Amino acid sequence: MLICDEYLTPTSLEEAFAAMACHRGECRIVAGATDLLPWAREGRAGDVEIPTLIDVSKIPELHERRADGKRVRLGAATPIQRFLDDPALAAALPAMPRCAVWFADDQIRESATIGGNIVNASPAGDGIPPLMAHDAVVELAARRNGSIVRRKVPLVQFITGPGTTTLAPDELLVAIECDALAGYGGSFEKVGHRRSLVISIVCLAVLVQLDGAGRGFEDVRLAIGGIGPVPRRLTAVESFLGQGAVTAARLEQAAAMPVELVASRTRQAYRRDIVRGFMLRGLIDAVRAAGGGTLTPDLARDLEAVYA
Amino acid sequence: MPELRIEATVNGRKVARAAKPHLRLLDFLRDDLGYTGAKEGCGAGECGTCSVFVDGVLLKSCLVPVAKAQGTTIETVEGLGHAGGLTVLQQAFHKAGASQCGYCIPGMVMAATAALRANPLASREEIKERLGGNICRCTGYQKIFDAVELARDVRNGRRPASALAEEDPVDGAFIGASVRRLDAPSKVSGALKYAGDMVMPHMLHLAVLRSPHAHARIVSIDTSEAEAVSGVEGVITAVDVPGIDGFGVFVHDQPIMARGKVRYVGEQVAAVASEDPLVARRALARIKVVYETLPAVFDAHEAMRPGAPVLHDYAPDNIVKHIPIRVGDVEKGFAESDLIVEEIYSTQQVEHAYLEPEAGLAYVDHDGVVTIVSPSQNITHHRHMLSRIIAQPISKVRFIMSPVGGGFGGKEDMVYQGMLALMAMKTRRPVRLVFTREESIITTAKRHPSHTTYKMGLMRDGRIRAAAIKLVSDGGAYGMSTEGVMRKAAILAAGPYSIPNVKIDTYGVYTNNTPSGAFRSFGALQSQFATETHLDICAEKLGLDPFAIRRINAMRDGAVTHTKQTLKSVSMLRALDATEQVSRWETGAPTSRGDVRRDLAGEGTRPPCTLGTRFANSAGKDSESEVA
Amino acid sequence: MARKRGRGVAACWYGIARTATVDRAGAWAEIDDGGTAKIVTGVTEIGEGILTVLAQIAAHEIGVRPQDVTIGDNDTARSPEAAHAGATRQTYMIGNAVALASRQARAALVEVLARYWNVDSRTIKTAAGEVWAEGTNHKMPMSEAVHIAKSRGVVPVGSASFGTDTTGLDPVDGSGRPWQAYVFGCQVAEVEVDTLTGEVQVLGIWAVHDVGRAVNPRGVEGQIEGGIVQALGQGLMEDYRTVNGHAATPNLAKYILPTSLDVPHVTSVILEDPDPIGPLGVKGIGEPAMIPTIPAIMNAIYDAIGVRMTSLPATPEKVLEAMGRRARAARQPVAAE
Repeated sequence: MLICDEYLTPTSLEEAFAAMACHRGECRIVAGATDLLPWAREGRAGDVEIPTLIDVSKIPELHERRADGKRVRLGAATPIQRFLDDPALAAALPAMPRCAVWFADDQIRESATIGGNIVNASPAGDGIPPLMAHDAVVELAARRNGSIVRRKVPLVQFITGPGTTTLAPDELLVAIECDALAGYGGSFEKVGHRRSLVISIVCLAVLVQLDGAGRGFEDVRLAIGGIGPVPRRLTAVESFLGQGAVTAARLEQAAAMPVELVASRTRQAYRRDIVRGFMLRGLIDAVRAAGGGTLTPDLARDLEAVYA
Repeated sequence: MPELRIEATVNGRKVARAAKPHLRLLDFLRDDLGYTGAKEGCGAGECGTCSVFVDGVLLKSCLVPVAKAQGTTIETVEGLGHAGGLTVLQQAFHKAGASQCGYCIPGMVMAATAALRANPLASREEIKERLGGNICRCTGYQKIFDAVELARDVRNGRRPASALAEEDPVDGAFIGASVRRLDAPSKVSGALKYAGDMVMPHMLHLAVLRSPHAHARIVSIDTSEAEAVSGVEGVITAVDVPGIDGFGVFVHDQPIMARGKVRYVGEQVAAVASEDPLVARRALARIKVVYETLPAVFDAHEAMRPGAPVLHDYAPDNIVKHIPIRVGDVEKGFAESDLIVEEIYSTQQVEHAYLEPEAGLAYVDHDGVVTIVSPSQNITHHRHMLSRIIAQPISKVRFIMSPVGGGFGGKEDMVYQGMLALMAMKTRRPVRLVFTREESIITTAKRHPSHTTYKMGLMRDGRIRAAAIKLVSDGGAYGMSTEGVMRKAAILAAGPYSIPNVKIDTYGVYTNNTPSGAFRSFGALQSQFATETHLDICAEKLGLDPFAIRRINAMRDGAVTHTKQTLKSVSMLRALDATEQVSRWETGAPTSRGDVRRDLAGEGTRPPCTLGTRFANSAGKDSESEVA
Repeated sequence: MARKRGRGVAACWYGIARTATVDRAGAWAEIDDGGTAKIVTGVTEIGEGILTVLAQIAAHEIGVRPQDVTIGDNDTARSPEAAHAGATRQTYMIGNAVALASRQARAALVEVLARYWNVDSRTIKTAAGEVWAEGTNHKMPMSEAVHIAKSRGVVPVGSASFGTDTTGLDPVDGSGRPWQAYVFGCQVAEVEVDTLTGEVQVLGIWAVHDVGRAVNPRGVEGQIEGGIVQALGQGLMEDYRTVNGHAATPNLAKYILPTSLDVPHVTSVILEDPDPIGPLGVKGIGEPAMIPTIPAIMNAIYDAIGVRMTSLPATPEKVLEAMGRRARAARQPVAAE
């Protein structure tokens, strides 16, 4: 049970920082509350008494959504559901709709925010790998010496361990900026113990851009969650696939590469087993989504060969 | 505690209330406004019994701090129909038989309403995805999908409104007619009150202190500090039991609250009552219990070994019950067999997970009758046991069975009604207890896990000559239904097959694990899982089709069972024939021939779930034609 | 193909009502004003549909409509004992008791009408709220019939008890008569196994169950569908785990249940082999419905990928591990036999 004496709902960053300053050390930030409330229960944190909760979800700046062809800017309180139902976002973030449809369920996606997913920094947080693949940068703000100061940190550096980030106690995550990758093929692979409302054992985001002929990679971006303390980019695989040809043999070689990275606390053998399959399936789906396979019959044949 | 001022429009009416800041929207709707159609199934967003619309968006109200409701427009299940009528969707749930216990149904109706609002032409597969956040434990979901499709079609004019109406049988032959469920309207509308929805004037809330140890002696319990807390109206422990303490379905080995020692983690030790549930909860921390931990045992086989920690003095070998069944001579049968197959099977502990956590309301009425209203599956037996425990004649003990939001055997044990009775007697006020989901999972009975060693001897033609089956089951800390479960497991273990030589032994064993108890299929699921898997292994070795090996051995009219009972009429062969036919089964030995068989993916299968059917819609496909 | 399909079959049997002990249930019936009926018996829904079933039985036996039947609360101080809600006993024990009580109430009414019409009571028929004497033009609504009975000083009531002829088991060899009614069933499962992840999806179940006589076929289907999905949960995902007695799966995030996306299409076939002993021929379905499901799924997994799952649940992890073991064994040189 989450018990508080006071629940504040600031409507501007200024108000939020004033509340944070006033209740320093005795407050906690709330956005969607979908992680906070289940956390304060028996078997997890148990009954938790926090004097003041500060709900930042009503701050307009945290709901911003802008895409300009190169970069996307998302307010931290953007609900996950927007990745499914906002066509502009879906186009600029091609792996995100697939990720979102696996994320909890429709109702939780309406409450849960992308900022909350990042700040929680779960090793299996579904929203994190796709954003990493988009070279996401988080924008943090604080009120210091009377004015609001902001800094930007790459997402891969922001998350430092399970549940830990570089967010300072007086800071708020206000926005996420990332590459707009319209025209890329995106895919998202996830396995849990059922098909809905499930925590990932492993999740993988893949984004690929093909050359004009649909035969070679122009750009490959991969990020994976669940295999270690933090989600991570698969840079070695990206540089291996680089700008080379899309062939079954190269996909298979690439798929085997991250297996040795599995360093989770539990289920290591299982995660090793599935990483290779996920890589293959994710790459193939992304290549298909990027237009490969439908364009060239021999590539389609190659892809079938990998599945077989 | 600065209270919040919540102004919102709920089901078309403006409300303005003060609310404590830690409440959730679910608490506000249920406790402050009386909209109990939204239920609390888990409190953690995992089940969907609490789904409501907030500004037109469906949310799980257990995950919404009440402050977020400020200035919103809220619609609960009670607000869907106008003036007490049912919406087309609710009528479709009624017609299709989509509600069983009904506890998930208000949330399910809300989710289905949201699905059809989002896409009035949603296909069955899309409907499934949009209901993915709402768990149902009774129906298997199929009739729910049927209902949503029916509502969709009626609303789109593809099926007539009369498709929602009752179809009366001719000549009043109501036995054999699929009459619509009489209780469905109260369930689809959220009107039905379960125990946790009921309130009485001057009612207290009970909170329970539970054991942190698996096995420990209770050295002392000091409740004085808790009793001194302002707002606490009563504290009870085992010393408050006036009669002979002890309950259980077969052996009365469990005290109302731990007496002298605790035997599993979560066992109830003391309880506190207050008008404010938060006061009761906080007061639990003021009860001082001194424990002296004892060696514990967590494995059934270990518990049976000499020298293992003993849980109950009456059972020094920790055996709750051993059931033997003997027919013929198995050793002779094995010697005569052409093929011997041995294997080990194991099954796990399973939670009932009814969507309605345990709840009850007790009071002492004007005639001094101790009355307990709860979703108990066995009020008759509970009445007998409680009368002994509180030393009152049967006529002064009254149990009322409230609507049960799923039971499956899990509500046969009198695990909390005794505490409610004691507190009502002590305070002379109505007392209500509602378990959290975690309490329900951690402290109540589970399906028995099992470890089965199986040996079967067969002739080359497939006839079973002998079966030796030994099943050991962890009954946990208390007896509950273990004896009966072991009995049913044993009687049915060898399956519906005529076997001349049978040796079956089932053992239920005490350990310091969460107790195992009654659960739908009661031991027979565990033992027949072994038998039916084993038969396929044998069929493969003998090159027999799985239907054929079952047919060869099936009991027929006049068969004698393994307990030597003669059965007049046995429908086994008819069941085998009908299954083979309806499934269009391709005959063959079970040699992992999935790659070559030709009876796959036909009528009666669903498409594999890949998620994302809504992407296909946005690509412009006609949603309904996908499933045609 | 990374995804492989297979099918498996399993059968079951089950006993109806309490095991190896005498079972019993009582019921009261009254044909009430307005042509309605009142049934009082110690039972309440646990979701299986028993209230509707009992209303159907009473309506059928008395000659009214189910919606005209009121069933009293299950209350130890206000209703006769019907014992517990479990053991697949409700339709069998309480259904039969309600049928007998209803027949008695009806007989009381019919006796008055036979005198009133001066006909043989055996010619009087009742159905769906009407009463008539065959071969005559005597006919009236049930409401009027009740009024006539009451004006002649008769309240048409009945009460009945239904008990079983069963015994305990011999403590040495287990012999005995644990039940008087048995049911049989069989199911086929079709699965798809994702060999990359080990996930098993059950796509179809064909279920055939003998229920005696089906009172409400849609309700029977509901029991079969629900039982199958509970079994699927135990077969593939549910796992209550403790570590030194402490629950490791204390909530519904850790203890996972089948969702709408995890369930098969179920095709049910209801088989009717009437019970020769009870007055209605009914038996039951609640528990047996889930027994064949798990072995049918496990046999189907073997059909699809050649691994034998003998330890439940068959989680993706365990399936993949078993596949790995099988692949390694296949690579070992075969020992001389």
